[in-house]
Amino acid sequence: MWELLARSLEASTIFLFAALGELVNQRSGVLNVGLEGLMLFGGTAAFITTQATGSYPLGFLAGLAVGGLLGLAHGFFSISLRGDQVVSGMGLWILSFGLTTYLGSPYTGPLGLSRIPAVFGLSPFFLLGVVLVTAVWLVLFRTAPGLAVRSAGENPAAAEASGIPVGGIRYLCVVFGGVLAGLSGATYTLSYNPVWNYNFLMGWGFVSLALVFFSMWNPWILLAGASLFGIMWQLSLSPELVLPGVLSRYVWRMVPFAITIPILTLISTSWFRTRWGLTKPEALGRPYAKG
Amino acid sequence: MRLGRHELTLEPRQALPPGYTVLIAAGAIVVALALSSFLFVSADASVLGAYRSIFAYAFLNPLGLTATLQRAIYLLFCTFAFLVPLRAGLWNIGLPGQVFAGALAAFAVPFALRGGDTQASFASGGLIILMVVAAAAAGAAVGGFAGVLRARFQVNEILVTMMLNSIMFWLVAYMIKEGGPFMSPTGEGESFALPPGLRAPLWRGIPFTALLVVAAAVLLDLLFAKTALGYRIRALGENPAAARYGGIIPVMLSLIVFVLGGAFAGVAGYHAFTAIPGVYKIAGNYGFYGDLAFYGLISALIARGSALGAVPIAVLFAGLSLGARFAQGALHLPFGVDYALLGLLMMTFVGSHVLYTFRFALRRTTAEVLRPVAPELPEA
Repeated sequence: MWELLARSLEASTIFLFAALGELVNQRSGVLNVGLEGLMLFGGTAAFITTQATGSYPLGFLAGLAVGGLLGLAHGFFSISLRGDQVVSGMGLWILSFGLTTYLGSPYTGPLGLSRIPAVFGLSPFFLLGVVLVTAVWLVLFRTAPGLAVRSAGENPAAAEASGIPVGGIRYLCVVFGGVLAGLSGATYTLSYNPVWNYNFLMGWGFVSLALVFFSMWNPWILLAGASLFGIMWQLSLSPELVLPGVLSRYVWRMVPFAITIPILTLISTSWFRTRWGLTKPEALGRPYAKG
Repeated sequence: MRLGRHELTLEPRQALPPGYTVLIAAGAIVVALALSSFLFVSADASVLGAYRSIFAYAFLNPLGLTATLQRAIYLLFCTFAFLVPLRAGLWNIGLPGQVFAGALAAFAVPFALRGGDTQASFASGGLIILMVVAAAAAGAAVGGFAGVLRARFQVNEILVTMMLNSIMFWLVAYMIKEGGPFMSPTGEGESFALPPGLRAPLWRGIPFTALLVVAAAVLLDLLFAKTALGYRIRALGENPAAARYGGIIPVMLSLIVFVLGGAFAGVAGYHAFTAIPGVYKIAGNYGFYGDLAFYGLISALIARGSALGAVPIAVLFAGLSLGARFAQGALHLPFGVDYALLGLLMMTFVGSHVLYTFRFALRRTTAEVLRPVAPELPEA
């Protein structure tokens, strides 16, 4: 049972990293629906680098760098060119989906290195995740730069008028989001499931994106949500541990996705929006033209 | 950006010059093809040889050409499934899920009629029509589900359709694998074979769905150009606030576009699994058709929402994706050239998208143009 829980928490870090980065860039007003693509590309780059060099640190570095670069590309399109953020995000996703299938296919198979050791039976990444959540919460809600990020996402014109460089802040946040998405992908391919397969995520990125909406843009709720989804995900992979012989395993694979839809619907109702949903960044998804 | 005495700026475009859309679309495709030459270089293949092999197989080889047209029909249905909601400003990325729903519904017809005895022989044109209708209805139901949530509660349609894709993917796995209801009697992780009497009628290797897709292209363009419904959909897509001010109610429209789009994707699923010679079953690699559906997404985007304009683009993409698979085998390229091309096309589309909404302008900076003027009037 402990093993299942530890494994679930490791799965939840993958949701957590990606969603935490997305939370920060959404707080600054930029929506990146291509999260899954950034994770795919970061994970594939990390896997290939580690396999070529035999070094985990280099692999993670490659994953972070690729994620950050794709984040930068999204920033260029959505901030500098003031393009449609959905177009750019979808573009990054399909670009990554297509290119990683081609680039990664010669590496299909297991990584073939000794696994990253656990700390007290727990994945070290989960601990890193908790540290990151604390740090992001502290910065966003207890410091002046965090206030600047939030104001860029709420009312960029007012922020600019009070001397906050909205464009620069948004760029920083989008790149940060990309780096964390890369970390999430690298954690998947180097630690959680070190076997490369085409389109290995199969929807994890979109679930992470949904988690950001569930969290009402609060890092602590995000941590709870990601942990819950990690457990649910792991149970859907091995339902025989809880309910042996009930329903086909394929039916269980649908469960995390099927649960996401009613939750999304609940938080979209007008009742929920007026009662709880005021935290949504006001300028989310809208390009900002200075002056 | 300043360049000496001039300034290079991005300015919003008021109107598109005639022919400009076609030019940009062609440009985006050509750039993507040029970029894909890196794939061939990195695999130590001759670039010209690779292009020749792709195009010769897809458009000159009689076998290849037939396969190209069969795939183009599939891609066009997928294109329309994405295009209709796009005109209303909504993103239907649930194409794979709706395609799978259509395929399952089409196979449910022979399954239900013979109570599971799937090898019995059929011979009825009516049943074929029933299969098409069932596929369209199933796709429409899956699409409509996302449409209802969008219309009624403003639930993000990208997330919902993506979740539905995963759900439908595993539903197909459940139906055709490990003792699922549709599993083939020999149990190879694929569905039972379609009874020969229910195969789609062919004319020179092209199934009757070709007629449906051409009719759909013409009717869709007429819908958007000439009807009140089409006008409302376009208005909603181009400026939701103005549309609402003008008395257009978005709720029903969001639902209509998703039902219509889903129906097209459902028929695409019917076509892919029951109308292409040599298939006639839901194979174990059905996920590939789901991935392929995203070519439809790109062709709708590049065609800028024009259904007839998407026809040549879809035919080209069908040929490219097939030819790429062929060249992959012939030239020993790594797997996934067709996927890489999909990614590159998407990237150049996003790049070209900027050119639709903005134009680059080179202007002299104001300080140079306006000379300092004396504050007083000159003395007469």
